[in-house]
Amino acid sequence: MNDRAENLLLALPGLGLLVLAYFLPIGQMLSLSLSGREGPSLEHYTRFLSDPFYLGVLWRTVRLSLVITLICALLGFPFAYIMARVGPRLRMWLVVAVILPLMTSVVVRTFGWMVLLSRNGLVSQFVRDLGWAERNFQLMHTESAIVIGMVQVLLPFMTLSILGVITRIDPRLEEAARTMGGSFLSTLRSVVLPLSLPGIVAGSLLVFTLSASSFVTPSLMGGARIQVLAGSVYKSVTQTLEWPFAAAQAVILFVGVLLVLVPYVKMNTPKHG
Amino acid sequence: MKIRFDLTALAATTLSLLAGTALAQDKTLTINSFGGAYETAHRKCVITPFEKETGATTRVVTAYSADAFAQVRAQKAAPQFDVIHFSGGQEIVAASEGLLAAIDAAKVPNLADLYPVAKAGLAKGEGPVYSIAAIGLVYNSQSLPKAPTSWKDLLDPKVSNKLVLTDISNGYGMLGFLMINRVAGGDLKNIQPGLDAVKKLLTGGAIVVTTSPEIQREFAQNGATIAPYASDYAYTLTKANLPVKFAQGVEGTPASFITANLVANRPNQALALKFIDMSLSESAQACFANELRYSPTNAKAKLAPDVAATVAYGAASMQNLFRFDAPTIEANRASWVERWSKTIAR
Repeated sequence: MNDRAENLLLALPGLGLLVLAYFLPIGQMLSLSLSGREGPSLEHYTRFLSDPFYLGVLWRTVRLSLVITLICALLGFPFAYIMARVGPRLRMWLVVAVILPLMTSVVVRTFGWMVLLSRNGLVSQFVRDLGWAERNFQLMHTESAIVIGMVQVLLPFMTLSILGVITRIDPRLEEAARTMGGSFLSTLRSVVLPLSLPGIVAGSLLVFTLSASSFVTPSLMGGARIQVLAGSVYKSVTQTLEWPFAAAQAVILFVGVLLVLVPYVKMNTPKHG
Repeated sequence: MKIRFDLTALAATTLSLLAGTALAQDKTLTINSFGGAYETAHRKCVITPFEKETGATTRVVTAYSADAFAQVRAQKAAPQFDVIHFSGGQEIVAASEGLLAAIDAAKVPNLADLYPVAKAGLAKGEGPVYSIAAIGLVYNSQSLPKAPTSWKDLLDPKVSNKLVLTDISNGYGMLGFLMINRVAGGDLKNIQPGLDAVKKLLTGGAIVVTTSPEIQREFAQNGATIAPYASDYAYTLTKANLPVKFAQGVEGTPASFITANLVANRPNQALALKFIDMSLSESAQACFANELRYSPTNAKAKLAPDVAATVAYGAASMQNLFRFDAPTIEANRASWVERWSKTIAR
């Protein structure tokens, strides 16, 4: 047996699983999305793309995902940097602090936020007491609530992606920059940030795709009146029973995410690849 | 190092495993229930007595009607449920798509005691109705001292910002909306008046929820005073120590039928029919009324006076309930849900 065949053999179970659990269902979804009342048709796509309501839902999904990704990156980078630069004992505790929320179900964590953000919850009451909002104000069932909930759920993915890269940056590079007269911030900006870009990109890809396709947190935090695409797919599958339309929406989400991701990846490969 | 597979041993293990599942299947029934207090009562009233009598084991999957229907439909080629319960009229579509098996009345003796309305769908292949939920006005009797009497009370701008509406993807939510539509001047052919009314209510501060526990939260934590919803849920709120009462609107009380359906192409239909029969028995139905305040469909079910006062009980009372034309709802559900979503979207 030569190397190639051996490699192929080793990859076979993984490939088989991928075909069975991924490519096959995706293919099925594609064909379902094209099935019209009389033979194949694009009716479900035209219905979606010609309706301002659904376009609005798509735009909200992309927009919120971008905001969530941005906030995660802004919070995750400094946090990961601090984690990488503190002593090993403290780092362990910080890693535990990041990973611990992942041990609790997303639903449970989201319910926690629902209590805090509801009309009589701590956060809403605080905002009202400060006189920043009217009597009936609540954060629940707003886009801000979705962003808050999702950032908390997805921050570990960002932090850990960046941490992996920053720990591999040679600290002597920073020392060199400081000796050459760079301030702490300018060192961070011109040395650490560019070198940790692959981690930020990887983390952003993870966070963006996860938030664009997530369903539980947005539907619980946003409520019935603020729909995202994944929720709309769910509605079409379970409530209106229009499966081809649901498949078309899923394909549009898939393509939409892909369209955002391709330039993102491209932008980064020449520099590091 | 070489690993040798003993093929015969492997085959023997596989075979015995398969045989094991086959044997287990004979005495195992897979059903859905609706979770929470409902599932607890379901176990007490039907499932546990059924297991005791037949020695069978029941696997209960928690799935609301819409999710349950989606699963049954997806599993058409290889069904996994034996008995499926619906509360939102899904049995009509399920029967027309061939997902359900027709029920042989001879094998379900309790059918004879049901009110005619509870077995009207049998001829079309739908399962019998084992419980009825009445839809009316659930209100907080402390913050709303004067009991509401009409569905029009929901449209009063004074209560708008304390009003809880339920999304029409929920079966009860649909019936409540159709009543709002009716008092706003619409009918099943035209739901626009209802949508316009809802739009106005939302501008006035009304809240839309999608599941019943959210209604409880609105009443318990967020000062809600009124919601169009089911009598059984009003009872759930009462048990949670909320000062909540249930009132019927003078314009009528729409009913939601909960059916037990036999899934087609499953091996244990005899056992499944036995399960459905027990759901229809007078003891199971009295138990459901005691536990959750559902109205029984078995004419022989006996209720204590205090329980009977809070449900639709007896032949005369049954006639006061009315049912929106379920096939019309089913035919329009998709477009109504879409229009509703667009109306409430922010």
